[in-house]
Amino acid sequence: MKRRNNTFTLIISILLLSGGFLLFPAKRFAQEEAASKIMRYKQYEVSTGYYEEYEAKPGKQLPFVEIPGVRHGLFPYSPAAASVRNPSRLADAHQGIRFYDRRRCEDCHIEQTKNIHITRANLTCRQCHGGEPIASSEHYFSPMNPIRRHAYVCSKCHEGASASYAGYVIHAPNPFSASTLKSFPVLFYAAWIMVAIAVLTFVVFLPHTILWGLRELLLKK
Amino acid sequence: MMTNKNRIKRFTPVQRLFHVLLMLSFMVLGASGLSRLYINTGWGKWLAGLFGGYESALLVHTYTGIFLITGFFVHILYLMAKINPKTIIGPDSLLPRGEDIKQFFSHIGWFLGFRESPRFDRWGYWEKFDYWAVFWGMVIIGITGLIMAYPLVATRYMPGWGLNVALWVHRIEAFLAMAHVFIIHFFIAHLRRHNFPMDRAMFEGSTDLEAVRSEKPAWIDRLKKQGDYENLLVRESQPQQKAIFFVFGYIMVAIGLFLIAGALVNWQRVIW
Repeated sequence: MKRRNNTFTLIISILLLSGGFLLFPAKRFAQEEAASKIMRYKQYEVSTGYYEEYEAKPGKQLPFVEIPGVRHGLFPYSPAAASVRNPSRLADAHQGIRFYDRRRCEDCHIEQTKNIHITRANLTCRQCHGGEPIASSEHYFSPMNPIRRHAYVCSKCHEGASASYAGYVIHAPNPFSASTLKSFPVLFYAAWIMVAIAVLTFVVFLPHTILWGLRELLLKK
Repeated sequence: MMTNKNRIKRFTPVQRLFHVLLMLSFMVLGASGLSRLYINTGWGKWLAGLFGGYESALLVHTYTGIFLITGFFVHILYLMAKINPKTIIGPDSLLPRGEDIKQFFSHIGWFLGFRESPRFDRWGYWEKFDYWAVFWGMVIIGITGLIMAYPLVATRYMPGWGLNVALWVHRIEAFLAMAHVFIIHFFIAHLRRHNFPMDRAMFEGSTDLEAVRSEKPAWIDRLKKQGDYENLLVRESQPQQKAIFFVFGYIMVAIGLFLIAGALVNWQRVIW
């Protein structure tokens, strides 16, 4: 009897302790001050997009350097060619699209409307992507540029968002579709492996349990 | 009125407390989680209303989840205090043995009428599976849940796209857990003839002696050989207590079936 009381007291006290622990709010790491310039400098660069006091512009172009999957033709990143060949670096991503002012975002970007931020949080495209002109996400002054989008876009709602946090794939693909294998393989494999575990469990235990129920029903007592 | 000692002890009060806490938090987690997932259906909105709406359903879900994870750690501490190195491998242990695989197949042989039912010892393979399924489920669903509950902290140690993966792993594991508990576990504990209308072992702490003799004869034989048999016999609990167990058990079954039916009926309308 004594031993059982001790176990109860142990369990109750641990539950109470952990309950007290929950009262404290989570630490907001992105609001930490950069205390040491040496330790924090790289983090500071990444999280603000400022290098010293100047904003970062794209580095010098290397016309003969191949970038797999990105490079199309010679001089892919020359300042002039960039605006022609690489629509992800334009100041106005929709430049030259006819009747642009009469169109709605979802006329072209219907796939991008299927995500939690729109279907559940009722956001509109403009609340993140901003007003006209909408710069390409890799344009060096775009608020959507990964070097600063967490501070300019995400943290409007998600207080304390960091650059890594902003790596959440907002326009998430359907994890089960074949195209996800290419665009987001980890998600594809994780989802299918979990489904396989679930299916395996039921393939074994559903017939097993039905047969068991039938067998006991027909049992002569 | 004295009744005979016609039941055999199976679970300690602490073990039953663990099970009740697990049940209650599992139900709250299932209902609040489904209410979030199905929020664009009428059923999901009604369910979320029970928790005070979409936002507060998440609050309830998160804190119940943290409570369950805490309970899991307490259970591990309990195990470490309780484990006896002498019986860790053997019929009294919940660790899987080669015997379990053999019994699984011979049990199926018995379902189909090919052979005699295996003589189970203290734990059947399905009971071990239930125990370890919760164990592995707690780890998967607990880690992904914590990642999503504290995304700012989590993304310090992993890339942001890990949140996408965590969300889907959490969802699929949740469906697996709910479907297994609400269909298979409930069927085995309530509906099969051996236990119908309800196996009270996890609430009363003891099982009917006749039922154990027919299903787990190896356990009884071993207890008699070891001389522990007489010490484990107990009396049946009061009718009032039995009524409470019965009502509580069937409320849980009703909630579980309601959740699984609602989830299946509204499946097509979910915007994932």
